[in-house]
Amino acid sequence: MTIVFDTLAKIAFFFVLIMGLVVVLIWMERKGAAFIQDRTGPNRASIGGVRLAGLVHPVADVFKLLFKEDITPDNRHKALYNMAPWLVMTVALSTYAVIPFGDFLTVAGRRVPLVVADLNVGLLYILAVASLATYGVVMAGWAANNKFTFLGGIRATSQMISYEISMGLALMGLVLVFSSLRLTDIVAGQGDLVLGFLPKWGVVVQPLGFILFIVAVFAETNRNPFDLPEGESEIVAGYHLEYSSMKFALFFMAEYAHMVIGASLIATFYFGGYQIPWLPRPLIEAHAGLILTLKLIGVAIAALLIAMLFFRRVQKEKGKFGDARDREPVIGAGLWALISLGALAGLALKPWAIGPVGAEMVASLFQIMAFVAKVVFFAWLFIWVRWTLPRFRYDQLMHLGWKVWLPLGLANLVVTALVMAIV
Amino acid sequence: MSFEGLPKGSGDKNRSFLESIYLWEVVRGLRVTAGHLIRNILHTDDMPTMQYPEEKRVYGDRFRGRHRLMQRDDGSAKCVACQMCSTYCPADCIEIVGAEHPDPKIEKYPLTFEIDLLRCVYCGLCEEACPCDAIRLDTGIYEIAADSREKFVVDKEFLLNNDTDGTL
Amino acid sequence: MAKLTIDGKEIEVPDGTSLFDACRDARGEALPHFCYHPDLSIAGVCRLCQVEVEGMPKLTIACNTGVRDGMVVHTRNERVTRASTQILEMHLINHPVDCPICDQAGECGLQDQYMKYGLYDAEVEMDDKVNKAKAQVIGPHVILDKERCVLCTRCVRFCDEVTGTGELGIFNRGNRAEIGTAPGVELDNNYSMNTVDICPVGALTGRDFRFQKRVWMLKAASSICPGCATGCNVRIDHEAGRIYRLKPRYNPEVNGRWMCDKGRLTYKAVHEDGRLGEPMVAGQPGNWAGVSGAVADLGAKEGFGLAVASPHLSLEEMYLLKKLAGEAPVHGGLTDADRGEKDKLLLDADRTPNRRGLGLLEIGQGDGSALAAVIKGVTGPILIHGGDPAADPAVTEALSGRDVVYIGTHENATSALAAVVLPGAMWAEKAGIFVNRDGRLQEFRQAVARHGNAREDWRILAELLNVGGKEDAPGSLKAVRAGLTSSIDPGTDLNQLPERGFVPGGEVR
Repeated sequence: MTIVFDTLAKIAFFFVLIMGLVVVLIWMERKGAAFIQDRTGPNRASIGGVRLAGLVHPVADVFKLLFKEDITPDNRHKALYNMAPWLVMTVALSTYAVIPFGDFLTVAGRRVPLVVADLNVGLLYILAVASLATYGVVMAGWAANNKFTFLGGIRATSQMISYEISMGLALMGLVLVFSSLRLTDIVAGQGDLVLGFLPKWGVVVQPLGFILFIVAVFAETNRNPFDLPEGESEIVAGYHLEYSSMKFALFFMAEYAHMVIGASLIATFYFGGYQIPWLPRPLIEAHAGLILTLKLIGVAIAALLIAMLFFRRVQKEKGKFGDARDREPVIGAGLWALISLGALAGLALKPWAIGPVGAEMVASLFQIMAFVAKVVFFAWLFIWVRWTLPRFRYDQLMHLGWKVWLPLGLANLVVTALVMAIV
Repeated sequence: MSFEGLPKGSGDKNRSFLESIYLWEVVRGLRVTAGHLIRNILHTDDMPTMQYPEEKRVYGDRFRGRHRLMQRDDGSAKCVACQMCSTYCPADCIEIVGAEHPDPKIEKYPLTFEIDLLRCVYCGLCEEACPCDAIRLDTGIYEIAADSREKFVVDKEFLLNNDTDGTL
Repeated sequence: MAKLTIDGKEIEVPDGTSLFDACRDARGEALPHFCYHPDLSIAGVCRLCQVEVEGMPKLTIACNTGVRDGMVVHTRNERVTRASTQILEMHLINHPVDCPICDQAGECGLQDQYMKYGLYDAEVEMDDKVNKAKAQVIGPHVILDKERCVLCTRCVRFCDEVTGTGELGIFNRGNRAEIGTAPGVELDNNYSMNTVDICPVGALTGRDFRFQKRVWMLKAASSICPGCATGCNVRIDHEAGRIYRLKPRYNPEVNGRWMCDKGRLTYKAVHEDGRLGEPMVAGQPGNWAGVSGAVADLGAKEGFGLAVASPHLSLEEMYLLKKLAGEAPVHGGLTDADRGEKDKLLLDADRTPNRRGLGLLEIGQGDGSALAAVIKGVTGPILIHGGDPAADPAVTEALSGRDVVYIGTHENATSALAAVVLPGAMWAEKAGIFVNRDGRLQEFRQAVARHGNAREDWRILAELLNVGGKEDAPGSLKAVRAGLTSSIDPGTDLNQLPERGFVPGGEVR
């Protein structure tokens, strides 16, 4: 019974994490794209005059899409057409089952491993489930009965087939190094050091594998520079062209959910997952009190600085808009000042004198935070790359996949195997 | 595969090793975009974007905005319904119905004068064609909005007193 | 024959030809002129057609000079063009130049001549011009603007010579001279609107067309006036599905360059209220898909008992109607509205355009009482095509209790009592052939779109032919005409009637 409860709690954690990240990522995408292109980006939607630098826009978009008319083509294949968005979304979410987001958490005397399902073939599971997402895309492209969506579906399939292989080969090298298909083992193995000073992260022991993998992940998530299934300049919007309203929103959210998976996989396989470099768990537990105290002070100072920035805006932009938006910097300054005060108030609880149970909790919390921070960074990398690189041509994509990535992956596997055999 | 139409220097052979493996170029590209990103985060105010409803671009005096009909001293339209404008109009957006004016010195006046602002291309040929300076595009109004197509067809009364904001 | 040289070109014309006509032949275009009109006497008042004849000391007006053997004429040298420009400038001295509000703009002699021979800078200020009365109503159809007049006297000569009514004249002298009517006299004859046509400027404008449309926006379709048996050739000026005016089309065999005012206003019926736009079955609006069934329900599968043809139908429709009736009698129904007063010029007492067509197809005719007798003598459904036979009480009485299918254009007494009403096309909305009082077959063409869901009559008749299952219904008007050609054998292909019509068996004037 407790296992069921624990599992549900962990699923809920991932669900909240992904959905929250999707909203944040959409915001990051739009605002980041705008800043990269010297624009201001979304800054109009507001709640009572508070615009949160555009963060209200994704929320407004959700409401807009919910209330929009669902326009469907007449000659669609009804069942497949309705199933496709759900399949894409479901597959995106189910990949998380085997990703560890922390070591363990002791709750009421029980050690709860921080992974939904600790499969011994977790890596195979990920490869299997991730490739299912293509089915959703192909179904959407086929069922809408439109030549552009169909072309998008075909592109998605062949792209997926091409890069699934090099992705698998890249991971094989990793499996050889860590001698396990179980993701918790792989992450745990990355907590060690190599040569005494380098963290034994996947990127350190498998640099070529990392490059192969990250490119393959970009291709698998259909993100620029590999977003040919959407290819709006040639095939309008590709596979989701005929979808509108909430069905379109599902595709849209699934794209960002895929980004989060991609980022999680990169973090898990090549950047130590939840591991904090040079700070193994026993060390954190031993000095939990000190770390927590420093952290609180750091938060207090940072929040104070932000509050001061807002205060500067209060003085500078007095009555700029002449409406509710003028209150925005005032609220911001007050809020960050409160956070700063709250962090200082936390010092009154004497965090330096934390007990052993608390120390364990702190260690788990830090590990989860490290994992989330890595995921957010790599998700940002997806966005960053999208607004930097132009899209590949289709023949270039295929050339890269079959003639460059596949031989490189094989070579990487052979070299790794030889090294492992010798060492 | 050969790319004969491409300019010199863009072929595979002329690339350096770093360029041909592409990855380093990707990193350089990321550096450029990150530079823009950081600069714009730190100097939000310097962005060239104009915050439109609050800030408005100032156009020159000769800017062609929404049309207006000129008035005689008594407030009636100067237009004599000669339909030179609707003849000349490349978008065919002007619809005039002439009628007999009680004053034989004026003789003809526009019973209705309608402009379909959605069809209009704001070329200003109507004011060029007008023999009696009855129509001008000098209001400077360029924000033209309405919630139905019918409202974009504006009538004589509207054009005679055309000093509202963009809303129709 | 006289041989003369015009602008270095040798030309031979019959003796007695005016120099004006000879110059037109030689140049390919007419000399500039206002007062000259081929159907009116020579006035020689506009002085615009001056040419240089070698041996004559001064320039001479071509319209009033006869040709002489060995004449050497110059029409384009500097002396002549300077004279034309100066004369034109003189005509324009007191012209108000109010082209924007002038209906003539676009077909104005002054505008055309100025662009061709004028192009000088005016020396007379607007304020110095002599002002005269504007927009004077001088008759039921015509408005006079005295300022615009160039005193060419075409209208005066028309009223004197063609109609013989003489309402118009020139009053006062010098720059005060103006066209006008005597006190108490109105320009009120049945041909008054021809003065609007011949006026080279905007002095005379038609009240009906005034300010309705600028002339350059109009499109033209050639047609035949449906007003009477004369069959005047007309041009329908229309735009965006609306007819704006009828103008006479030159046909020396029928109407010359004139037509009557009554005929000019016949187009009004096309845009009248009360047009039939939807098929009606038992008084309820239906659609064309249900028409065949409704007509078959009346028993028309076995054929109609009687077909009544109106003399307003085209020849093709009469032919199809006869075919549809088969063995059953076809009757040409005349009503009181089809007769009127005859005048001495063009208007005929027979106010139907195609009664000769009934004769050509050997369809018997008769008035209301005759029709009532025929109706009483037949059984089965009755098809009435065109006209309004039930306006006659005798016919109404005879038709009571009978199944009537009516093909018509307007709501009237017949459409009220018909079981099935099918909307047909007015003459301007379809093509066809009328036979005029001289037996001349003349073609009219479609000008505007049909009202509502109305159909071309021959299509309706073809559909009814299908209901009866009689024989292959024709699929095009061309096919109908081909059938008609072989049926009456007029001696020509009716699909290729000449522009000025065709009289079977030769011209019989």
